[in-house]
Amino acid sequence: MSKPRVAIYDFTDCEGCEVEIISLRERLLALEKRIDIINWRLGQERAEFGPFDITIIEGTPITQHEIDLLKSLRENSKTLIALGACAALAGIPAIVKKEEREKWYKKIYGEKYKPRGLDAMPLSAYVKVDFLLHGCPVNGDEVVRIAEELLSGKKPAYRGYSVCFECKQANNPCRIIDKKPCLGPITQGGCGAICISGGSPCYGCFGLHQEASIEALLIILNNLTNPQEIERYFTMFLRQTDEYQNIIKPRLKNKK
Amino acid sequence: MNQEFIARIEGHGNLKIDWKKNQVKLNVFEGERLFEGMLVGRTAEEMHWITPRICGVCPVAHNLAALRAAENALGIKPNKTTVLLRDLMLCGQIIQSHVLHLFFLSLPDYLGIDRGTELAEKNPSVFKNALALKEVSDEIVYTVAGRSIHPITTTIGGFHKIPSKAALKNLLKKLEKTEQAAQKTAELCARLDYPALKVDLELTAQENDSIVSVSSLNIKNKKKSSIKNYKKDIEEEVKDYSTAKFAKYKNKTMLVGALARLAIYQNYDSEKYQIDFSNPFYNNFSQALEILFYHQTAREIIDKLLEAKMDEKIIKPKNNSSFKGIGAVEAPRGGLYYEVYLDSSKGSGRDTIIKSANIITPTVQNLTSIEKSSQALLDQTKNRSRKEIERLLIMLVRAYDPCITCSVH
Repeated sequence: MSKPRVAIYDFTDCEGCEVEIISLRERLLALEKRIDIINWRLGQERAEFGPFDITIIEGTPITQHEIDLLKSLRENSKTLIALGACAALAGIPAIVKKEEREKWYKKIYGEKYKPRGLDAMPLSAYVKVDFLLHGCPVNGDEVVRIAEELLSGKKPAYRGYSVCFECKQANNPCRIIDKKPCLGPITQGGCGAICISGGSPCYGCFGLHQEASIEALLIILNNLTNPQEIERYFTMFLRQTDEYQNIIKPRLKNKK
Repeated sequence: MNQEFIARIEGHGNLKIDWKKNQVKLNVFEGERLFEGMLVGRTAEEMHWITPRICGVCPVAHNLAALRAAENALGIKPNKTTVLLRDLMLCGQIIQSHVLHLFFLSLPDYLGIDRGTELAEKNPSVFKNALALKEVSDEIVYTVAGRSIHPITTTIGGFHKIPSKAALKNLLKKLEKTEQAAQKTAELCARLDYPALKVDLELTAQENDSIVSVSSLNIKNKKKSSIKNYKKDIEEEVKDYSTAKFAKYKNKTMLVGALARLAIYQNYDSEKYQIDFSNPFYNNFSQALEILFYHQTAREIIDKLLEAKMDEKIIKPKNNSSFKGIGAVEAPRGGLYYEVYLDSSKGSGRDTIIKSANIITPTVQNLTSIEKSSQALLDQTKNRSRKEIERLLIMLVRAYDPCITCSVH
């Protein structure tokens, strides 16, 4: 049997998830033996343009060029995987609202500048995505797990529990009990609660988990802090999710 | 060019060669993320969380520059333990970034391979060194910053969590073992065949509170300016073919990064290793020498940390602070500058809201020079075939180690 033909593409982002893949070192070598990487701009000059068995896309499609390329990649790929928060959620680039982009172009580049960027949206706003590899950056162990499941012909599964579960395993004191805001309770596991273990907040970069009780968490957060801070937490990575747009945003508006 | 964007560089750019006019331009296509706009309305404490995401290759540099700017604005002077731990993070960062660039992006050009991992079969001993250095540098950043990409332990005024002495001792043991890999890498890069090129550039690096520069044709004559005047001295220009700005230093075409630092700091064995500072291809060699230097520096810093008592205390913001601050760091690719203005009427302490921010990244300072050096290469290789000239031009862009995602931010 011939090896699966794989492409790795990057749109607008920091490329940190690709760095995470290179940081797999020996494990990357082992994975590479089982696949044929026919297109990876960051890693190699060799570039074939499909058809692809698996296409991995990192970054947010912000420019028209990226949106068009995404659509053609979808047509040319059997399986399309979003790599990291920018691709899966629109992530950090979506902190800037679409209606404010014009203002910032003028301020940063001047009046005459012709911008390329349109809006920061996740891949799924334009095409069907087969699996979201979450994280900012992605977790190396998760990358290996998903790659192995795909290569053995399985449909990869999402973690069925929240960050809280892993946070308890890591023996961290609970931020919410300590009266600090946290999105861990509604965020999908798989990160090992690494940010909280390091003393930082959880801003939900792994995306919402399937049975997230968003409304319950909102009640708790409202008792801990003000609507402005809650908004800052939810818009760090999650602005473009349906849950933020349809549930959280209207409720925060009423409070302000 | 056979590809839409140059392969094996960070971000999306391309050279446009006009063979008739004998001219070359560097086009940058990366989408704008507008980080300076993103920061407005966020808290000072969120800045060093958000801005590492400008670049996944040098997130630690952005983290530290953001912290320095915020601490400057809030009147905080971090304690000795914090300063040492941050210096250690930066050593790890420079090695991480240089190793990734050298072995996976640039060396394939010199060794005639396509992908860095091909080394595993073609030159296993070199590849073993690459992996050892990648592992140990990731380990340094992991031990101090909590994760090898996008730090999680740092905070304004210190660290949420500091590493234990046992963890530092462990790291020191690993560094003792990998020093030979760093040494071997320097020797490997001393033997490489660097294409001929001569360009007159202003080599520029930060030294203490100053920006120091020398001419690439005469590195003896140092000139200085204050980092406080960074915005006036490093002038940015918007080009219609680029989403990144192009900078100059005091109206001169500047080069920043490893080659410039070695010229200014002279922190390498100049009897053993010969560097041609007027040839930007030697940036690759300089990166190898810096891997060795920062590897040794990391060990010295850990020695110092182990000797003294670790001070975990996080320094609090001062009541009468200025609410405006500058933070500068020598990032792997050169001088990185942050400036932040906080709104004293919104929020308080670490949670004071950001009013405006400005960031100048190293690659912005190198873009003008990449274009000038490419033009020089075009002028100095006229008897070669177009295909060969194209190959050399792409190799030159790679030798600069541009971070296009940083440059657009």
